[in-house]
Amino acid sequence: MTDEPTDDRRVLTVGTLARVEGEGGMHVEYRDGRVTDVQLRIYEPPRFFEAFLRGRSYTEPPDVTARICGICPVAYQTSSCWALEDACGVSVPDAVRRARRLLYCGEWIESHSLHIYLLHAPDFLGYDGAIEMAADHRGLVERGLRMKKAGNDLLDVVGGRSVHPVNVRLGGFYRMPLRRELLALRPRLEQGLEDALATVALVAGFDFPELEQPYEYLSLRPETGYPIEDGRVVTSSGTSFDVRDFTRHIEEFHVEHSNALHARLDGSPEPYVVGPLARYSLNADRLSDTARRAAADAGLGAVCRNPFRSIVVRAVEVVEAFHEALRLVDEWQDGHDPSVPVPPRAGEGFGASEAPRGTLFHRYVLDDEGVIQDAQIVPPTSQNQPSVEADLRTLVQAWHGLDHAALTHRCEQAIRNYDPCISCATHFLDLTVENR
Amino acid sequence: MSTLPALVAGLGHPDRGDDAVGRVVARWVALRAGPMVEVVQCADPTDLALLWAGRARAVVVDAVASGGGVAPGTLRVLRTGAGLPPLTDQAWARTGRGGTHAFGLAAAVELARSLQRLPEEVTVVGIEAGGFEQGAPLTSWVGSAVPRAVEAVLRAAMGKDAVEPAR
Repeated sequence: MTDEPTDDRRVLTVGTLARVEGEGGMHVEYRDGRVTDVQLRIYEPPRFFEAFLRGRSYTEPPDVTARICGICPVAYQTSSCWALEDACGVSVPDAVRRARRLLYCGEWIESHSLHIYLLHAPDFLGYDGAIEMAADHRGLVERGLRMKKAGNDLLDVVGGRSVHPVNVRLGGFYRMPLRRELLALRPRLEQGLEDALATVALVAGFDFPELEQPYEYLSLRPETGYPIEDGRVVTSSGTSFDVRDFTRHIEEFHVEHSNALHARLDGSPEPYVVGPLARYSLNADRLSDTARRAAADAGLGAVCRNPFRSIVVRAVEVVEAFHEALRLVDEWQDGHDPSVPVPPRAGEGFGASEAPRGTLFHRYVLDDEGVIQDAQIVPPTSQNQPSVEADLRTLVQAWHGLDHAALTHRCEQAIRNYDPCISCATHFLDLTVENR
Repeated sequence: MSTLPALVAGLGHPDRGDDAVGRVVARWVALRAGPMVEVVQCADPTDLALLWAGRARAVVVDAVASGGGVAPGTLRVLRTGAGLPPLTDQAWARTGRGGTHAFGLAAAVELARSLQRLPEEVTVVGIEAGGFEQGAPLTSWVGSAVPRAVEAVLRAAMGKDAVEPAR
C-alpha cells in the first residue's frame, strides 16, 4: 500500500490486491472528501481464449474454457455446453440436467467455502489472512476446510476430478456416477449441511458497514428451484429475456485501466451487479425451506443491497448447495445414458449458468462442420467491475474521515465482497497486430 | 505418539506434461509401500491440512520449476515440519496451487501449522520439470528421474534421509 498526499489531494493505492483470485490492484483519488478517480486495475495479462477457440472443433470448448479458471471450471463447462448444444439444436434429457446441477453444487460448495473462510472472514475478524486467523479460530478454519473438501469430493465423483473435471462432454457426460458412489458421499454432505448452517449463524454475527447498492441486479431464474446451472435472465427492474438475447442487452466495452472488458446493461451508464446478492434478491422465493429459514434467522430480508453482507448470502447459498446435492443424490437413479449425440450444424448458440461469482454467458458461431467461427465469453467479474468501482466511490466519500490504512483496508474488503476472479476476467480480447 | 501411517501426497495436474510427475511417483510408491505408508493423489493443497491431521510424518512429491538452468529431472529435497522453519514462498508458493491462486504448498504448510495439524516431519521431494505442455506426456528427463524419486519418497516416508548418503 502507498499513501501519496499531494497538496489537498489524497491517493489510496493497493498495487496488488490480496485474497482475490488473480492479479489486480486498486487506485482511488479524492479531494476534500470527494472522489475524483476510481480504478479497479486488472493488469493480469489478457489470455486470448476467445481468439484461440476460433478454428477449433465445437467439441473442444468444454475442456478448453474450463482452463480459464481453477476455481470455477464447471461454470465454463456448463455454459459452453448449453451454448454449443443450442447452436446444434440439441436438448439434453433430464438425467443430464440433474448431473450438471449436482456437479455445479460441488463447485459452489468448494468456491464459496474457500471465499468465506480463507479469503473473506479474516476481514471481519481482524486478521491479515487465514493462516493468522487459524491460530485463534482453529475450529472455524477446520470447518471451512471440511466443507471445501466435501465440495471437492463431490466434484471428484461426478466430474472425475476435483480441479478441472474431465467427465464433462458436449451432450452430457462420458460416464454417469453410480447411485452407490453418490450414496457413499452422503455422510459428508450431511455434515456439510450442518457446517453450512453453522456458517450462516457465524457470519450473520459479523459487523457490517452500512452501504446500500442502488444498482440493477441481474441473474438467471429457472422454471423451478434456485438458479445454479440454467435459467432465463431476469433483472431487478423487471426485465426478463432469454439467454439467446443476451448480446442484445449486454454490451462489453474496454477501459484503459483494465485488461478485462467492462459491461453495460441495455445501454445504461449505471453499473449492474451479478453474483450472490443479485441471485438471492431475485430468487429468494426459490430457496429450499432449510436455506430460507437460515436466511431469515440471519436477518436477511427478501432483498439484500448491502455488498458487505454478501458473505451471509454466500453462506446461505452453501446451505442451498448442500441441501440440493442431498436431494439430487437421494433421487438419483442408475441406468440413464450419460450423453446424447450432438451432430454439428452451422449456426449460433447461446448459453449461461450461475458461476459462484455470477452469471457467465457464452456464445459460439459454428460452420456446418462444427468449426468455431466466433466465440464470446462474458464472465461475472467483468460485468461487476463498474459496480466495484461505484462501491469504492461511495464508501470513500462516506468514510474519508478514516485514517488511510483503515480506509484502504475497507476498500480492499469492498472489492473482496465480490469474490472477484481476475483470471476469469482476463480471458478475453482479440489480439490484432497491424503491420504498417 | 501418532499411530497413523505416514502420508505420501502426489501433487500436480495429470495432463500438463511434467506437472503429472508427483502423481506418477505416488502411484509407484503405492505399489511398493507397506502398511505404514498411506498414499494419496491430490490437486488442491488446501486438502493437505485435513489429510495431515494426527500424523507424525508426511511426504509431498511435486514437479518444480526453479529456473536458473537446473537440469530437468534433478531432484530437490526440502524439509519442514512442526518444529522446523516454514518453506519459503520462493521455494514452493507458486506450484501445486490447484484450485486457488491464494494457497500454494507453502501456504498450506503454514495453515496446517496454525491449525496444529502439521506433522513433525514433512519432506518435500521436487522433480525439476522440463515442460508443462497441455496433454503432453512426461519428458524423457523427468520420466527417467521417476525411479530415483520413488526411492527418495520411500526413504523419507520411512524416516530416512530422502537422498541416500554417498558412500
